[in-house]
Amino acid sequence: MANIRLENVSKRFGRVTALQSVNLEIHHGEFFCVLGPPGAGKTTLLRLIVGLEKPDEGTIYIDGDPVNDVHPRDRDIAMIFQNLALYPDKTVFDNIAFPLRERKMAAEEIRARVAQVARMLHIEHLLERKPGKLSGGERQRVAIARALVRTPRAYLMDEPLANLDALLRLEMRIELKRLQEQLNETLVYVTSDQVEAMSMADRIAVLYKGVVQQCDTPDNVYNLPANRRVATIVGSPPMNFLTCQVQRMDGQLHLVHSGFGFQVVGSDHPLWDCLCRALPAVREVLVGVRPEDIRLYPERPTEVIAFPARVAVSEPLGAETIVDVQLGRDIIKVITPPTQYFAEKQEVWVAFDMAKVHVMDAQTGERIYTTGAPEQLQCILPGTCA
Amino acid sequence: MTRRPTWQIVLRYALVLIVVGLFTFPTYWMVTMAFKPKVEWSTAHGTIYWVPQNPTLENFETVLTEYRGKFFRANQSSALPSIRSSIIVSIGGTLFALLIGTLAAYGLSRFSVDTGDLPWYIALGRLALLILVLLPFMVLWAWLGIIRYWYGILSFTLLGIGADQLIGRLLALYYRGPTGSLAFSILQLRMFPPMAIVIPVMIMWSAFKLIDTWYGLVAVYGVVTFPFVVWLMKSFFDEIPRELDEAAIVDGASNWGAFFKVVLPLAKGGLASTALFVFILNWSDFLIALLLTTRDWPTIPVFLNSLVSSEIGAQHGPKAALGLLAVIPPVVFGILIQRYLVRGLTFGAIKR
Repeated sequence: MANIRLENVSKRFGRVTALQSVNLEIHHGEFFCVLGPPGAGKTTLLRLIVGLEKPDEGTIYIDGDPVNDVHPRDRDIAMIFQNLALYPDKTVFDNIAFPLRERKMAAEEIRARVAQVARMLHIEHLLERKPGKLSGGERQRVAIARALVRTPRAYLMDEPLANLDALLRLEMRIELKRLQEQLNETLVYVTSDQVEAMSMADRIAVLYKGVVQQCDTPDNVYNLPANRRVATIVGSPPMNFLTCQVQRMDGQLHLVHSGFGFQVVGSDHPLWDCLCRALPAVREVLVGVRPEDIRLYPERPTEVIAFPARVAVSEPLGAETIVDVQLGRDIIKVITPPTQYFAEKQEVWVAFDMAKVHVMDAQTGERIYTTGAPEQLQCILPGTCA
Repeated sequence: MTRRPTWQIVLRYALVLIVVGLFTFPTYWMVTMAFKPKVEWSTAHGTIYWVPQNPTLENFETVLTEYRGKFFRANQSSALPSIRSSIIVSIGGTLFALLIGTLAAYGLSRFSVDTGDLPWYIALGRLALLILVLLPFMVLWAWLGIIRYWYGILSFTLLGIGADQLIGRLLALYYRGPTGSLAFSILQLRMFPPMAIVIPVMIMWSAFKLIDTWYGLVAVYGVVTFPFVVWLMKSFFDEIPRELDEAAIVDGASNWGAFFKVVLPLAKGGLASTALFVFILNWSDFLIALLLTTRDWPTIPVFLNSLVSSEIGAQHGPKAALGLLAVIPPVVFGILIQRYLVRGLTFGAIKR
């Protein structure tokens, strides 16, 4: 039972800034994911919450109480380290019992609680073994058991599945999700794997270079990325970005790319407003389209407007094929069904799902607008604009 | 692969044999001499006995009982007090060094604020400056006539520590980068030849009335072996992942609890081998014990040196017998901790 709040938290190591004015509010009972590439400051964030590091600036609150000067042992927060940090010379039983013994609990109760947690995680048969004799998944469970047994106020996990093989990771992912629902406790989960974050989290904070880029539900992070970074970190393959010139002529607003162009329809359109207001300063925008929102046609389609392009590389993955397409000067990635086959250097026609196009500021990378319906933005062929 | 020529193989084994012989022969000679009667170990008759002709225990008897011969001997007492003395000061010194050294090593391994490598000219320059600053004070203290008394020594030591701190601060003003390294300073303790420091120590100890006491020797042994403990234990602690202490702290242990309940048990192999190493150093020390003991607490090496009689000169037979006895404790200690000397105790702790 814990709300965790970070207010303007900054942390520096020498000249390196690990976290820069982080503001986060993690609610009780929430499955909260911190997603970011390696070196983004995710682990530092966890270490600050648990108390292994002190913030240089800002305050951390747990249930409304500032805990900056509270020793980790008194914060009552469990943490599962990336390398698990099981005590190698102690048996599994002693590993799990360690937090209870530190709390001077009676031996009888320790035995009962360890047994209960072991049953819950299906590791009863391993209690007499040492961590060195366990498989990766078993060690994982022991580490989780050691956190669970003390019934802390919140759980922190630092890439707990990163060292497991792919199949086991899939299994543990489901199990963790179920466990969290069962416990209904606050869980802060750090990962660099966007699939884990998307599939498990109630909310995701995307961290890049020590700055929280966006903190929202998985749905919003995916569909309405705050900026170019978030769009790159969430989604695989990442979103395609096409650099377009903003041109205004004959009462029309055009976004012109080397391979094609867009026309903004209707001057009452919010995008029109945004672009016109920014126009003298912003001459360039990034048009972002996810690989799954692009379709390839071997022949010129009649029902949608498509642009001619050329296949560069094709990567069949079984369930889908990722095709790299040369469009103008840019290469974009497209996810196609495996039934479609494209050879290298083949001429194709590219069509965008116009309901899912993101327009971002080319300079700052901030999202300006995302289309919600197909008729707001219209594709035009390169020849038809200046 | 071509086979080596036979002469090379023969030469190689011949060289190995020679080296092995060079190393084992003195041991062989000591063991056999311990059991030879006087006529065999003394060279008075001009014959060399390669193996004992009439094995006897008389050398052990000589060494373990008080000397009652009619000739003068440098030390009349039996070796038993010196054996007791050796055991007490060696174990005491080892425990003392382990106690302070292990804690220091843990601190240096986990909480060290020293960053970067200390350039040699800063390390040596700082030391030279310190000596330069302290020299006039030493003359002054000597002129005042207080250098031989405990208050003179104590005040001079405090002055030295203060001057060193001051020099460090001043250096830091003009030199960007590390101006000191605690770990290196500890190692520097070992860089003087023992002979250079043992005489000042003797003067200090006599001022503090620590000469010929077991605790005086324990203190010196502890300080002299302390750098070894720090550097050996630091390398063992460095191998133990920091996450283990942190996990213990998060699990509810205090900083001391994390050290004693999690880190130290993992380093017990290292602790055992360090203890053996330091114990052997203390056990075999001659120089320090020679200068710091007189009548009550001479150790075995010092006692060995005094086994000289007017009858025959050095009593080699009894010396060999006592030498043989002196070998026993380190060997027994080594065998006892053998199972801890195996490395790889942290194996399986961490997935890499």
